[in-house]
Amino acid sequence: MTTPMQTNSDNGSQNTPVIEISDLKVRYGDSPALNGISFDVYQNEILGIIGPAQSGKTTLLKVINRTLELTPDTTVEGSVKLDGVDIRTIGDVYGLRRRIGMVLPLPVGLPLSIYDNVAFAPRTAGIRAKSELDEIVERCLQQAALWDEVKDRLDSLGTKLSGGQQQRLTIARALSHQPEILCLDEFSIAVDPVTTMRIEEVLKTLQTEMTILLVTNLVQQAKRLANRTAFFLNGDLIEIDTTDVIFSENPSNQATYDYVNGTFG
Amino acid sequence: MTRPKLRKKIILLSITVIIEIVALIFFWNALKKTDVTNGQASPALGTSGGLPNLLGDLNLILPISFLVILLGIACAFYVEEWLSATNWVRRFIESQVAFLTGIPSLLYGLLAVAVFFGYAGVFKATLQNAEGSALAGTPFQRNTALFYTETLIFILTVMPVAIKTTQTALRSVETPIRESAYALGATQWQVLTKQVVPRAFPRMLAGGCRAMARAFAAAALLVGIYAWSHTMELRGFPDRFMLFLGGALLLSNASSFLTEIYVPASTQHN
Repeated sequence: MTTPMQTNSDNGSQNTPVIEISDLKVRYGDSPALNGISFDVYQNEILGIIGPAQSGKTTLLKVINRTLELTPDTTVEGSVKLDGVDIRTIGDVYGLRRRIGMVLPLPVGLPLSIYDNVAFAPRTAGIRAKSELDEIVERCLQQAALWDEVKDRLDSLGTKLSGGQQQRLTIARALSHQPEILCLDEFSIAVDPVTTMRIEEVLKTLQTEMTILLVTNLVQQAKRLANRTAFFLNGDLIEIDTTDVIFSENPSNQATYDYVNGTFG
Repeated sequence: MTRPKLRKKIILLSITVIIEIVALIFFWNALKKTDVTNGQASPALGTSGGLPNLLGDLNLILPISFLVILLGIACAFYVEEWLSATNWVRRFIESQVAFLTGIPSLLYGLLAVAVFFGYAGVFKATLQNAEGSALAGTPFQRNTALFYTETLIFILTVMPVAIKTTQTALRSVETPIRESAYALGATQWQVLTKQVVPRAFPRMLAGGCRAMARAFAAAALLVGIYAWSHTMELRGFPDRFMLFLGGALLLSNASSFLTEIYVPASTQHN
Protein backbone atom coordinates (compact mmCIF):
# COMPACT_ATOMS: atom_id res chain seq x y z
CA MET A 1 0.00 0.00 0.00
CA THR A 2 1.24 3.42 -0.84
CA THR A 3 1.53 5.85 2.03
CA PRO A 4 -0.95 8.59 1.32
CA MET A 5 0.32 12.08 1.30
CA GLN A 6 -1.42 14.17 3.91
CA THR A 7 -1.84 17.86 3.44
CA ASN A 8 -4.00 20.43 5.10
CA SER A 9 -6.64 21.93 2.96
CA ASP A 10 -6.14 25.43 1.79
CA ASN A 11 -9.80 26.32 1.48
CA GLY A 12 -10.70 27.81 4.81
CA SER A 13 -10.29 24.56 6.71
CA GLN A 14 -7.19 25.37 8.64
CA ASN A 15 -8.95 24.47 11.89
CA THR A 16 -8.89 21.23 13.84
CA PRO A 17 -10.11 18.02 12.24
CA VAL A 18 -13.77 17.00 12.72
CA ILE A 19 -13.16 13.36 11.84
CA GLU A 20 -9.89 11.61 12.52
CA ILE A 21 -9.55 8.19 10.97
CA SER A 22 -6.52 6.13 11.91
CA ASP A 23 -5.58 2.68 10.65
CA LEU A 24 -9.18 1.75 9.86
CA LYS A 25 -9.58 -1.86 8.75
CA VAL A 26 -12.93 -3.37 7.81
CA ARG A 27 -13.68 -6.92 6.79
CA TYR A 28 -16.93 -8.50 5.59
CA GLY A 29 -16.50 -12.06 6.78
CA ASP A 30 -13.13 -12.97 5.33
CA SER A 31 -13.00 -10.45 2.53
CA PRO A 32 -11.33 -7.15 3.36
CA ALA A 33 -13.08 -3.91 2.44
CA LEU A 34 -10.71 -1.34 3.93
CA ASN A 35 -7.05 -2.12 4.57
CA GLY A 36 -5.89 0.29 7.23
CA ILE A 37 -6.63 3.80 6.05
CA SER A 38 -5.77 7.01 7.91
CA PHE A 39 -6.79 10.58 7.18
CA ASP A 40 -8.52 13.58 8.73
CA VAL A 41 -11.55 15.54 7.63
CA TYR A 42 -11.59 19.25 8.45
CA GLN A 43 -14.37 21.57 9.48
CA ASN A 44 -16.49 23.04 6.66
CA GLU A 45 -14.63 21.36 3.85
CA ILE A 46 -16.07 19.27 1.06
CA LEU A 47 -13.99 16.11 0.88
CA GLY A 48 -14.48 14.28 -2.38
CA ILE A 49 -13.95 10.52 -2.23
CA ILE A 50 -13.40 8.91 -5.60
CA GLY A 51 -12.47 5.43 -6.71
CA PRO A 52 -13.90 2.53 -8.70
CA ALA A 53 -16.48 0.07 -7.32
CA GLN A 54 -15.39 -2.21 -4.46
CA SER A 55 -12.86 0.29 -3.22
CA GLY A 56 -14.49 0.77 0.18
CA LYS A 57 -16.04 4.22 -0.24
CA THR A 58 -19.54 3.33 0.95
CA THR A 59 -18.12 1.14 3.72
CA LEU A 60 -16.21 4.16 5.02
CA LEU A 61 -19.43 6.20 5.28
CA LYS A 62 -21.19 3.31 6.99
CA VAL A 63 -18.40 3.09 9.54
CA ILE A 64 -18.70 6.78 10.30
CA ASN A 65 -22.44 6.70 11.07
CA ARG A 66 -22.18 3.19 12.54
CA THR A 67 -24.81 1.68 10.24
CA LEU A 68 -22.22 -0.94 9.32
CA GLU A 69 -23.11 -2.55 12.65
CA LEU A 70 -26.43 -3.55 11.08
CA THR A 71 -24.61 -5.75 8.56
CA PRO A 72 -23.87 -9.11 10.11
CA ASP A 73 -20.39 -10.62 10.19
CA THR A 74 -18.34 -7.44 9.83
CA THR A 75 -15.12 -6.64 11.68
CA VAL A 76 -13.90 -3.11 12.28
CA GLU A 77 -10.42 -2.31 13.61
CA GLY A 78 -8.65 0.99 14.11
CA SER A 79 -10.34 4.15 15.25
CA VAL A 80 -12.67 6.81 13.92
CA LYS A 81 -12.89 9.90 16.09
CA LEU A 82 -15.62 12.48 15.82
CA ASP A 83 -14.63 15.73 17.53
CA GLY A 84 -11.91 13.80 19.35
CA VAL A 85 -14.21 11.05 20.67
CA ASP A 86 -13.95 7.49 19.34
CA ILE A 87 -17.36 6.81 17.79
CA ARG A 88 -17.38 3.25 19.07
CA THR A 89 -17.33 4.50 22.65
CA ILE A 90 -20.40 6.66 22.07
CA GLY A 91 -23.27 5.02 23.95
CA ASP A 92 -26.12 6.83 22.20
CA VAL A 93 -25.69 5.48 18.67
CA TYR A 94 -28.98 7.09 17.59
CA GLY A 95 -27.75 10.46 18.75
CA LEU A 96 -24.52 9.88 16.82
CA ARG A 97 -26.46 9.09 13.66
CA ARG A 98 -28.42 12.29 14.05
CA ARG A 99 -25.16 14.21 14.01
CA ILE A 100 -24.40 12.74 10.59
CA GLY A 101 -26.69 13.22 7.62
CA MET A 102 -26.63 10.43 5.05
CA VAL A 103 -27.81 10.53 1.46
CA LEU A 104 -27.88 7.15 -0.27
CA PRO A 105 -27.17 6.44 -3.98
CA LEU A 106 -30.76 5.83 -5.00
CA PRO A 107 -33.37 8.24 -3.70
CA VAL A 108 -35.23 6.35 -1.02
CA GLY A 109 -38.40 8.21 -0.31
CA LEU A 110 -39.74 6.72 2.87
CA PRO A 111 -43.28 5.60 2.12
CA LEU A 112 -44.69 8.66 3.83
CA SER A 113 -45.91 12.10 2.79
CA ILE A 114 -43.33 14.74 1.83
CA TYR A 115 -43.93 16.47 5.16
CA ASP A 116 -43.58 13.26 7.17
CA ASN A 117 -40.41 12.31 5.31
CA VAL A 118 -38.69 15.45 6.48
CA ALA A 119 -40.31 15.37 9.91
CA PHE A 120 -39.34 11.73 10.49
CA ALA A 121 -35.96 12.35 12.13
CA PRO A 122 -37.10 15.26 14.33
CA ARG A 123 -40.04 13.15 15.46
CA THR A 124 -37.83 10.19 16.34
CA ALA A 125 -35.72 12.65 18.31
CA GLY A 126 -38.82 13.57 20.28
CA ILE A 127 -39.95 16.84 18.69
CA ARG A 128 -43.75 16.88 18.71
CA ALA A 129 -44.80 20.54 18.43
CA LYS A 130 -46.45 21.17 15.06
CA SER A 131 -45.10 24.71 14.74
CA GLU A 132 -41.56 23.54 15.36
CA LEU A 133 -41.93 20.70 12.84
CA ASP A 134 -43.45 23.09 10.26
CA GLU A 135 -40.45 25.33 10.67
CA ILE A 136 -37.96 22.45 10.28
CA VAL A 137 -39.75 21.09 7.21
CA GLU A 138 -39.80 24.46 5.50
CA ARG A 139 -36.17 25.23 6.33
CA CYS A 140 -34.89 21.86 5.11
CA LEU A 141 -36.93 21.84 1.94
CA GLN A 142 -35.69 25.32 1.17
CA GLN A 143 -32.10 24.32 1.86
CA ALA A 144 -32.52 21.39 -0.52
CA ALA A 145 -34.03 23.68 -3.20
CA LEU A 146 -37.28 21.75 -3.20
CA TRP A 147 -39.64 24.02 -1.24
CA ASP A 148 -41.03 25.98 -4.20
CA GLU A 149 -41.88 22.81 -6.09
CA VAL A 150 -43.66 20.99 -3.28
CA LYS A 151 -44.95 23.62 -0.86
CA ASP A 152 -48.54 23.19 -2.10
CA ARG A 153 -48.55 19.41 -1.82
CA LEU A 154 -46.70 18.54 1.34
CA ASP A 155 -49.30 15.88 2.11
CA SER A 156 -48.77 13.87 -1.08
CA LEU A 157 -46.57 10.79 -1.05
CA GLY A 158 -42.83 11.41 -1.14
CA THR A 159 -42.38 8.37 -3.34
CA LYS A 160 -44.48 9.98 -6.07
CA LEU A 161 -42.02 12.76 -6.72
CA SER A 162 -39.69 12.55 -9.70
CA GLY A 163 -36.26 10.96 -9.22
CA GLY A 164 -34.47 14.30 -8.94
CA GLN A 165 -37.07 15.68 -6.55
CA GLN A 166 -36.87 12.54 -4.44
CA GLN A 167 -33.12 12.88 -4.16
CA ARG A 168 -33.51 16.49 -3.03
CA LEU A 169 -36.12 15.22 -0.57
CA THR A 170 -33.59 12.77 0.85
CA ILE A 171 -31.13 15.66 1.19
CA ALA A 172 -33.81 17.70 2.99
CA ARG A 173 -34.42 14.70 5.22
CA ALA A 174 -30.73 14.32 5.96
CA LEU A 175 -30.62 18.00 6.92
CA SER A 176 -33.67 17.76 9.16
CA HIS A 177 -31.70 16.70 12.21
CA GLN A 178 -29.19 19.52 11.71
CA PRO A 179 -26.16 17.30 11.16
CA GLU A 180 -22.61 18.46 11.66
CA ILE A 181 -21.48 16.22 8.85
CA LEU A 182 -23.29 15.44 5.62
CA CYS A 183 -22.34 12.23 3.81
CA LEU A 184 -23.46 11.87 0.22
CA ASP A 185 -23.04 8.47 -1.38
CA GLU A 186 -23.11 8.83 -5.16
CA PHE A 187 -26.19 11.01 -4.90
CA SER A 188 -26.30 11.82 -8.61
CA ILE A 189 -26.68 8.25 -9.90
CA ALA A 190 -30.43 8.55 -10.42
CA VAL A 191 -30.54 12.27 -11.11
CA ASP A 192 -30.39 14.12 -14.43
CA PRO A 193 -27.47 16.53 -15.06
CA VAL A 194 -29.52 19.70 -14.59
CA THR A 195 -30.83 18.58 -11.20
CA THR A 196 -27.31 17.44 -10.29
CA MET A 197 -26.09 20.96 -10.94
CA ARG A 198 -28.86 22.36 -8.74
CA ILE A 199 -27.95 19.99 -5.92
CA GLU A 200 -24.28 20.87 -6.32
CA GLU A 201 -25.19 24.52 -5.86
CA VAL A 202 -27.09 23.56 -2.72
CA LEU A 203 -24.03 21.71 -1.40
CA LYS A 204 -21.77 24.72 -1.96
CA THR A 205 -24.17 26.78 0.14
CA LEU A 206 -24.38 24.12 2.84
CA GLN A 207 -20.61 23.98 3.11
CA THR A 208 -20.66 27.13 5.23
CA GLU A 209 -22.72 25.30 7.85
CA MET A 210 -21.35 21.77 7.84
CA THR A 211 -18.62 19.41 6.72
CA ILE A 212 -19.47 17.40 3.63
CA LEU A 213 -18.17 13.98 2.60
CA LEU A 214 -18.94 13.44 -1.04
CA VAL A 215 -18.50 9.92 -2.38
CA THR A 216 -18.80 10.06 -6.13
CA ASN A 217 -18.21 8.02 -9.24
CA LEU A 218 -18.07 11.16 -11.31
CA VAL A 219 -14.52 12.41 -10.98
CA GLN A 220 -15.51 15.71 -12.55
CA GLN A 221 -18.04 16.23 -9.78
CA ALA A 222 -15.27 15.94 -7.21
CA LYS A 223 -13.23 18.39 -9.27
CA ARG A 224 -16.14 20.86 -9.34
CA LEU A 225 -17.07 20.65 -5.68
CA ALA A 226 -14.38 19.27 -3.42
CA ASN A 227 -11.74 21.24 -1.56
CA ARG A 228 -9.74 18.06 -1.10
CA THR A 229 -10.10 14.72 -2.82
CA ALA A 230 -9.25 11.23 -1.64
CA PHE A 231 -8.64 8.42 -4.11
CA PHE A 232 -9.54 4.90 -2.94
CA LEU A 233 -8.60 1.71 -4.74
CA ASN A 234 -9.37 -1.84 -3.57
CA GLY A 235 -9.73 -0.78 0.04
CA ASP A 236 -6.57 1.32 0.12
CA LEU A 237 -6.34 5.07 0.36
CA ILE A 238 -3.99 5.76 -2.52
CA GLU A 239 -3.81 9.49 -2.18
CA ILE A 240 -5.47 12.41 -0.44
CA ASP A 241 -4.67 15.96 -1.36
CA THR A 242 -6.18 19.23 -2.46
CA THR A 243 -8.40 18.78 -5.47
CA ASP A 244 -6.10 20.97 -7.53
CA VAL A 245 -3.18 18.61 -6.91
CA ILE A 246 -5.20 15.42 -7.51
CA PHE A 247 -6.45 16.73 -10.82
CA SER A 248 -3.15 18.26 -11.85
CA GLU A 249 -0.65 16.73 -14.24
CA ASN A 250 1.48 15.43 -11.39
CA PRO A 251 -0.34 13.91 -8.42
CA SER A 252 1.99 11.91 -6.22
CA ASN A 253 0.69 8.56 -7.40
CA GLN A 254 0.51 7.35 -10.98
CA ALA A 255 -2.69 5.37 -10.30
CA THR A 256 -4.44 8.59 -9.27
CA TYR A 257 -3.42 10.27 -12.50
CA ASP A 258 -4.59 7.28 -14.52
CA TYR A 259 -7.93 7.13 -12.73
CA VAL A 260 -8.86 10.80 -12.95
CA ASN A 261 -7.81 10.89 -16.57
CA GLY A 262 -9.86 7.87 -17.46
CA THR A 263 -7.04 5.47 -18.23
CA PHE A 264 -8.80 2.95 -16.03
CA GLY A 265 -11.90 2.76 -13.81
CA MET B 1 -45.78 -1.77 -11.29
CA THR B 2 -47.96 0.78 -12.94
CA ARG B 3 -51.42 1.72 -11.80
CA PRO B 4 -53.45 0.59 -14.86
CA LYS B 5 -51.82 -2.84 -14.65
CA LEU B 6 -52.77 -3.10 -10.98
CA ARG B 7 -56.33 -2.05 -11.75
CA LYS B 8 -56.59 -4.66 -14.49
CA LYS B 9 -55.36 -7.36 -12.15
CA ILE B 10 -57.83 -6.39 -9.46
CA ILE B 11 -60.71 -6.37 -11.96
CA LEU B 12 -59.72 -9.84 -13.18
CA LEU B 13 -59.51 -11.09 -9.61
CA SER B 14 -62.92 -9.63 -8.82
CA ILE B 15 -64.45 -11.41 -11.82
CA THR B 16 -62.86 -14.65 -10.62
CA VAL B 17 -64.34 -14.15 -7.17
CA ILE B 18 -67.82 -13.50 -8.56
CA ILE B 19 -67.65 -16.61 -10.74
CA GLU B 20 -66.48 -18.59 -7.73
CA ILE B 21 -69.34 -17.38 -5.54
CA VAL B 22 -71.93 -18.23 -8.19
CA ALA B 23 -70.39 -21.68 -8.70
CA LEU B 24 -70.31 -22.25 -4.95
CA ILE B 25 -74.00 -21.38 -4.58
CA PHE B 26 -74.94 -23.82 -7.35
CA PHE B 27 -72.78 -26.49 -5.83
CA TRP B 28 -74.27 -25.85 -2.41
CA ASN B 29 -77.82 -26.29 -3.70
CA ALA B 30 -76.91 -29.47 -5.54
CA LEU B 31 -75.23 -30.82 -2.44
CA LYS B 32 -78.26 -30.09 -0.29
CA LYS B 33 -80.51 -32.10 -2.60
CA THR B 34 -78.28 -35.12 -2.56
CA ASP B 35 -77.43 -34.96 1.14
CA VAL B 36 -77.82 -38.44 2.49
CA THR B 37 -76.16 -37.76 5.79
CA ASN B 38 -78.49 -35.11 7.17
CA GLY B 39 -79.84 -37.34 9.84
CA GLN B 40 -78.61 -37.75 13.37
CA ALA B 41 -77.41 -35.15 15.80
CA SER B 42 -74.05 -33.67 15.13
CA PRO B 43 -71.37 -35.54 17.04
CA ALA B 44 -69.06 -32.57 17.04
CA LEU B 45 -70.81 -29.31 17.39
CA GLY B 46 -74.11 -27.55 17.28
CA THR B 47 -77.48 -28.74 18.36
CA SER B 48 -79.90 -28.07 15.56
CA GLY B 49 -80.27 -26.38 12.24
CA GLY B 50 -77.72 -25.20 9.73
CA LEU B 51 -76.89 -21.83 11.21
CA PRO B 52 -75.99 -22.98 14.75
CA ASN B 53 -73.75 -25.62 13.17
CA LEU B 54 -71.91 -23.05 11.15
CA LEU B 55 -71.68 -20.63 14.04
CA GLY B 56 -70.43 -23.42 16.25
CA ASP B 57 -67.71 -24.27 13.74
CA LEU B 58 -66.68 -20.67 13.29
CA ASN B 59 -66.85 -20.02 17.00
CA LEU B 60 -64.27 -22.70 17.50
CA ILE B 61 -62.05 -21.98 14.53
CA LEU B 62 -61.87 -18.19 14.44
CA PRO B 63 -60.63 -17.41 17.98
CA ILE B 64 -58.07 -20.21 17.90
CA SER B 65 -56.80 -19.30 14.45
CA PHE B 66 -56.58 -15.66 15.46
CA LEU B 67 -54.45 -16.53 18.46
CA VAL B 68 -52.29 -18.98 16.55
CA ILE B 69 -51.70 -16.56 13.66
CA LEU B 70 -50.82 -13.82 16.13
CA LEU B 71 -48.37 -16.16 17.81
CA GLY B 72 -46.90 -17.03 14.41
CA ILE B 73 -46.48 -13.36 13.51
CA ALA B 74 -44.81 -12.65 16.85
CA CYS B 75 -42.49 -15.61 16.30
CA ALA B 76 -41.62 -14.41 12.78
CA PHE B 77 -40.81 -10.93 14.08
CA TYR B 78 -38.54 -12.33 16.73
CA VAL B 79 -36.74 -14.65 14.32
CA GLU B 80 -36.41 -12.14 11.49
CA GLU B 81 -35.64 -8.96 13.40
CA TRP B 82 -33.84 -10.05 16.54
CA LEU B 83 -31.96 -13.24 15.71
CA SER B 84 -28.97 -13.27 13.39
CA ALA B 85 -29.03 -15.56 10.36
CA THR B 86 -26.51 -17.86 11.98
CA ASN B 87 -28.35 -18.20 15.29
CA TRP B 88 -29.16 -21.85 15.94
CA VAL B 89 -32.65 -21.10 17.31
CA ARG B 90 -33.44 -19.29 14.06
CA ARG B 91 -32.00 -22.11 11.99
CA PHE B 92 -34.04 -24.64 13.93
CA ILE B 93 -37.30 -22.70 13.60
CA GLU B 94 -36.73 -22.03 9.91
CA SER B 95 -35.97 -25.66 9.12
CA GLN B 96 -39.06 -26.80 11.04
CA VAL B 97 -41.21 -24.19 9.29
CA ALA B 98 -39.89 -25.33 5.91
CA PHE B 99 -40.70 -28.92 6.82
CA LEU B 100 -44.17 -28.22 8.19
CA THR B 101 -45.27 -25.94 5.35
CA GLY B 102 -44.26 -28.61 2.87
CA ILE B 103 -46.81 -31.08 4.20
CA PRO B 104 -50.30 -30.98 2.63
CA SER B 105 -52.75 -29.65 5.18
CA LEU B 106 -55.08 -32.60 4.76
CA LEU B 107 -52.51 -34.81 6.43
CA TYR B 108 -52.75 -32.67 9.54
CA GLY B 109 -56.51 -33.09 9.54
CA LEU B 110 -56.14 -36.83 9.36
CA LEU B 111 -53.50 -36.64 12.07
CA ALA B 112 -56.00 -34.79 14.22
CA VAL B 113 -58.56 -37.51 13.84
CA ALA B 114 -56.17 -40.41 14.07
CA VAL B 115 -53.81 -39.34 16.79
CA PHE B 116 -55.34 -36.70 18.94
CA PHE B 117 -58.88 -38.02 19.04
CA GLY B 118 -58.12 -41.67 18.88
CA TYR B 119 -55.02 -42.48 20.83
CA ALA B 120 -53.36 -39.50 22.43
CA GLY B 121 -52.93 -40.00 26.11
CA VAL B 122 -53.60 -36.35 26.80
CA PHE B 123 -57.20 -36.76 25.84
CA LYS B 124 -57.81 -40.16 27.28
CA ALA B 125 -58.91 -38.65 30.56
CA THR B 126 -61.20 -36.16 28.93
CA LEU B 127 -62.65 -38.78 26.68
CA GLN B 128 -62.85 -41.58 29.16
CA ASN B 129 -66.57 -41.89 28.59
CA ALA B 130 -65.91 -42.66 24.99
CA GLU B 131 -67.78 -45.67 23.89
CA GLY B 132 -68.14 -46.27 20.24
CA SER B 133 -67.50 -42.64 19.41
CA ALA B 134 -64.37 -40.74 20.21
CA LEU B 135 -66.54 -37.76 20.85
CA ALA B 136 -68.77 -39.17 23.51
CA GLY B 137 -68.85 -37.62 26.96
CA THR B 138 -70.45 -34.50 28.36
CA PRO B 139 -70.63 -31.41 26.16
CA PHE B 140 -68.00 -29.77 28.34
CA GLN B 141 -65.60 -32.66 27.89
CA ARG B 142 -66.26 -32.76 24.17
CA ASN B 143 -65.64 -29.05 23.81
CA THR B 144 -62.46 -29.10 25.84
CA ALA B 145 -61.08 -31.99 23.82
CA LEU B 146 -62.04 -30.26 20.60
CA PHE B 147 -60.47 -27.02 21.72
CA TYR B 148 -57.13 -28.61 22.52
CA THR B 149 -57.12 -30.74 19.40
CA GLU B 150 -58.01 -27.81 17.21
CA THR B 151 -55.32 -25.65 18.83
CA LEU B 152 -52.63 -28.31 18.34
CA ILE B 153 -53.62 -28.90 14.75
CA PHE B 154 -53.69 -25.18 14.07
CA ILE B 155 -50.26 -24.78 15.58
CA LEU B 156 -49.02 -27.43 13.14
CA THR B 157 -51.01 -26.26 10.10
CA VAL B 158 -51.51 -22.55 10.35
CA MET B 159 -48.58 -21.30 12.39
CA PRO B 160 -45.77 -22.38 10.02
CA VAL B 161 -47.56 -20.66 7.14
CA ALA B 162 -48.09 -17.55 9.25
CA ILE B 163 -44.40 -17.53 10.24
CA LYS B 164 -43.21 -18.10 6.69
CA THR B 165 -45.42 -15.44 5.10
CA THR B 166 -44.67 -12.87 7.79
CA GLN B 167 -40.94 -13.45 7.34
CA THR B 168 -41.31 -13.03 3.58
CA ALA B 169 -43.33 -9.86 4.14
CA LEU B 170 -40.69 -8.43 6.46
CA ARG B 171 -37.93 -9.28 4.00
CA SER B 172 -39.87 -7.64 1.18
CA VAL B 173 -39.32 -4.25 2.78
CA GLU B 174 -36.34 -2.89 0.88
CA THR B 175 -33.07 -2.67 2.79
CA PRO B 176 -32.51 0.99 1.77
CA ILE B 177 -35.72 1.94 3.59
CA ARG B 178 -34.40 0.41 6.78
CA GLU B 179 -30.95 1.88 6.21
CA SER B 180 -32.40 5.34 5.58
CA ALA B 181 -34.47 5.20 8.72
CA TYR B 182 -31.54 3.98 10.81
CA ALA B 183 -29.31 6.67 9.30
CA LEU B 184 -31.85 9.26 10.48
CA GLY B 185 -31.29 8.13 14.05
CA ALA B 186 -34.36 5.92 14.43
CA THR B 187 -34.27 3.08 16.95
CA GLN B 188 -34.99 -0.49 15.91
CA TRP B 189 -38.46 -0.20 17.38
CA GLN B 190 -39.15 3.03 15.49
CA VAL B 191 -37.86 1.51 12.25
CA LEU B 192 -40.16 -1.47 12.75
CA THR B 193 -43.29 0.39 13.76
CA LYS B 194 -42.95 3.43 11.51
CA GLN B 195 -41.42 1.94 8.37
CA VAL B 196 -41.34 -1.82 8.18
CA VAL B 197 -44.74 -2.84 9.51
CA PRO B 198 -46.78 -0.28 7.53
CA ARG B 199 -45.08 -1.49 4.34
CA ALA B 200 -45.23 -5.17 5.19
CA PHE B 201 -48.79 -5.07 6.54
CA PRO B 202 -50.74 -5.94 3.35
CA ARG B 203 -48.45 -8.90 2.79
CA MET B 204 -48.70 -9.97 6.40
CA LEU B 205 -52.49 -9.84 6.12
CA ALA B 206 -52.25 -11.81 2.88
CA GLY B 207 -50.14 -14.36 4.71
CA GLY B 208 -52.72 -14.60 7.49
CA CYS B 209 -55.43 -15.20 4.89
CA ARG B 210 -53.32 -17.87 3.23
CA ALA B 211 -52.75 -19.58 6.55
CA MET B 212 -56.47 -19.51 7.28
CA ALA B 213 -57.28 -20.75 3.80
CA ARG B 214 -55.02 -23.71 4.46
CA ALA B 215 -56.92 -24.55 7.64
CA PHE B 216 -60.30 -24.12 5.95
CA ALA B 217 -59.26 -26.34 3.06
CA ALA B 218 -58.18 -29.05 5.47
CA ALA B 219 -61.47 -28.73 7.35
CA ALA B 220 -63.50 -28.93 4.12
CA LEU B 221 -61.71 -32.09 3.09
CA LEU B 222 -62.17 -33.62 6.50
CA VAL B 223 -65.85 -32.78 6.66
CA GLY B 224 -66.23 -34.25 3.18
CA ILE B 225 -64.43 -37.46 4.02
CA TYR B 226 -66.19 -37.67 7.36
CA ALA B 227 -69.63 -37.40 5.84
CA TRP B 228 -69.17 -39.37 2.68
CA SER B 229 -67.52 -42.27 4.37
CA HIS B 230 -70.71 -42.70 6.47
CA THR B 231 -68.76 -43.76 9.51
CA MET B 232 -70.59 -41.08 11.42
CA GLU B 233 -73.57 -38.93 10.72
CA LEU B 234 -72.90 -35.25 10.46
CA ARG B 235 -75.70 -32.77 10.74
CA GLY B 236 -75.70 -29.85 8.36
CA PHE B 237 -73.04 -31.42 6.19
CA PRO B 238 -73.66 -29.38 3.00
CA ASP B 239 -73.58 -26.10 4.89
CA ARG B 240 -70.42 -26.94 6.74
CA PHE B 241 -68.68 -28.34 3.71
CA MET B 242 -69.53 -25.23 1.72
CA LEU B 243 -68.48 -22.96 4.57
CA PHE B 244 -65.00 -24.44 4.60
CA LEU B 245 -64.65 -24.84 0.86
CA GLY B 246 -65.96 -21.34 0.16
CA GLY B 247 -63.93 -19.94 3.02
CA ALA B 248 -60.73 -21.50 1.70
CA LEU B 249 -61.35 -20.19 -1.82
CA LEU B 250 -62.29 -16.69 -0.75
CA LEU B 251 -59.42 -16.41 1.69
CA SER B 252 -57.02 -17.42 -1.09
CA ASN B 253 -58.55 -14.70 -3.24
CA ALA B 254 -58.21 -12.17 -0.44
CA SER B 255 -54.58 -13.18 -0.13
CA SER B 256 -54.02 -12.54 -3.85
CA PHE B 257 -55.80 -9.17 -3.58
CA LEU B 258 -53.60 -8.06 -0.72
CA THR B 259 -50.44 -9.17 -2.48
CA GLU B 260 -51.43 -7.14 -5.54
CA ILE B 261 -52.07 -4.02 -3.52
CA TYR B 262 -48.45 -3.93 -2.43
CA VAL B 263 -46.46 -1.35 -4.37
CA PRO B 264 -42.69 -1.29 -3.86
CA ALA B 265 -41.28 1.94 -2.46
CA SER B 266 -38.70 2.19 -5.19
CA THR B 267 -41.48 2.76 -7.71
CA GLN B 268 -40.84 6.09 -9.26
CA HIS B 269 -43.26 8.07 -11.30
CA ASN B 270 -40.96 9.98 -13.55
